[in-house]
Amino acid sequence: MDALVLAQSGSFFRDRSGDNSCVANNGICPRWAIDHFDRYVHPFFQHLELVLISTGAGFLVAFALAIAAHRRRWLVGPVTQVTGILYTIPSLAAFFLLLPLTGRGNLTAIIALASYTLLIFFRNVMAGLDGVPEEARDAGRGMGFTDRQLLWRVELPLALPAILAGLRIALTTTVGLAALAFYAGAGGLGEALASQKDFQTNIVLAGGLCVVMAAGLDALVLVAQRLLTPWSKARTA
Amino acid sequence: MTFSDTAQAEGPSPFHEAATLEFRHVSKTYRGTAEPAIRDLSFSVPAGDVCVLVGPSGCGKTTAMRLVNRMIEMSDGDILLDGRSVREWRPAELRRGIGYAIQQIGLFPHQTIGENIATVPRLLGWDKARIQARVGELLELIGLDGDMLGRYPSQLSGGQRQRVGVARALAGDPPLLLMDEPFGAIDPINRDRLQNEFLRLQGDLHKTVVFVTHDIDEAIKMGDRIAVLKKGGVLAQFAPPAELLMQPADEFVEDFVGADRALKRLALQRVRDIDLWRAPLVHVGDSTRAAREQAAHSDVPYPLLVDANGRPLAWLDEDDLRGERIEPGAGSPVLAIDADDVLRDALSELLRSEVQYGAVVDRAGRVTGVLSVEIMHAFLAPETKGDLDTAAFERRTSDHA
Repeated sequence: MDALVLAQSGSFFRDRSGDNSCVANNGICPRWAIDHFDRYVHPFFQHLELVLISTGAGFLVAFALAIAAHRRRWLVGPVTQVTGILYTIPSLAAFFLLLPLTGRGNLTAIIALASYTLLIFFRNVMAGLDGVPEEARDAGRGMGFTDRQLLWRVELPLALPAILAGLRIALTTTVGLAALAFYAGAGGLGEALASQKDFQTNIVLAGGLCVVMAAGLDALVLVAQRLLTPWSKARTA
Repeated sequence: MTFSDTAQAEGPSPFHEAATLEFRHVSKTYRGTAEPAIRDLSFSVPAGDVCVLVGPSGCGKTTAMRLVNRMIEMSDGDILLDGRSVREWRPAELRRGIGYAIQQIGLFPHQTIGENIATVPRLLGWDKARIQARVGELLELIGLDGDMLGRYPSQLSGGQRQRVGVARALAGDPPLLLMDEPFGAIDPINRDRLQNEFLRLQGDLHKTVVFVTHDIDEAIKMGDRIAVLKKGGVLAQFAPPAELLMQPADEFVEDFVGADRALKRLALQRVRDIDLWRAPLVHVGDSTRAAREQAAHSDVPYPLLVDANGRPLAWLDEDDLRGERIEPGAGSPVLAIDADDVLRDALSELLRSEVQYGAVVDRAGRVTGVLSVEIMHAFLAPETKGDLDTAAFERRTSDHA
């Protein structure tokens, strides 16, 4: 398998030629990193795209399931079990299981990655909705909200902190898992990693970019949370 | 007052300023239970009255209240608002026309105070300017500063939150208000203040109110009519507070009202509502002989010296009436009692000041009469020798048997 993958990533050649002793000694070489940074730009955005699409798809599916289960409580058990099973399938196994069905490429990777986020999103949306104070719900109903108005104007806004907490976990987890997506032929920073896995500078650089991406996405959601839920911060004021 | 079709066209809240409310043989049995929570409940509340539902826990008082806006659906019977069955509305629309305040308040934590208050007007589709004006008006009504509008519920004190809860319930100008132990979670001092504030508000608004409480003192204070419920949602008595205290319908009500119901009546009646003694009023410079004469023909044996505006200055006794004319600065101090005070407070003042008589004054401070311990006694007297005493006697003798 490795041979196949490496053969595919022929464009990503190892360049240890020249008089750079750092590269020759397989050290961590800032100079090399700066000179070859452009090679990582495409995999970085490929990786980011994978993460965003699969997280988004996972969120939409899980959100719909959670809304359904919110009104029909009997759905909570089955949905939790099914998404739980999906969550426990080793990611590599998922890629290989899907390959015959969806073929090599983004679709396979996205389906697998999205299915990992289902449990996280479902649990967090449910926890958020369950955490809505009963008296707020009662007051809302008593003042004449319909079920739909109550959901969108009271319950979901109040569930937002829990939902966004789930989003942060899902995003960082998916950034990590997407590093394996090249097995499904979807490229990304994992491919960059694996193509020169005995060259330390490459490992540090590609791995580092994964970390930067995860941290950056996490920070973005955190900022969004601050902006979207000013009331949760007001508590201390 | 009857509901008319023309009113319906005006919007989703086709009521008058205050609606009449009628329970007609209402029953509620929860699924899976044999015993009904409410049994054949019938009573009617005139528009603009506060009807208190009171009783021990488990008597179904909250259930009865929630049947009105169909938060709980009744099993049998009917509830009429301005003569029209609540079943004729869709629940959400019915509820927009009925104010709703609960003990836990249930302010929306994610919305500012202004947004919270605007909840029902928004649901009713008012335009922005009208909503803004209404919110400002309500904020003033409940005595909160305008800068509170942008705050979140978590930044307010318990008492402030409770006020906002009441303001929110009033926002759509509903003709009927449902309040479930609205002051139950507040400390006694603030509760008293909030009760008074609400009574003052109600004095201006004249809404029809259904007020649920387990506290008989609160019921007596707040209610124009009190429905006492027993276990199983049975109506034990439906009467104005004074009647409830003077003529409890049965032993349950008597026990529930409490052994101190005579004292409770003192907390119910205001000084201005009872027959006061006429005071022998005199002024500086009057002849002492005339003053003596006047006192002799009065209920009070002492002339009461007042100023040119009728405000009390001093009681005059024999020593003060020795001269030809009444001198300024003569006499002993007067206890002035506010005509708006409840009798309990007035009696308390008399006892504390160790005096027999108090000069009752109106808002301008003018003497309107004299209150004495004897008047208090006479006020309580019918009860002490009435049928209630024999009932108590019978109970005592049956205990011995």
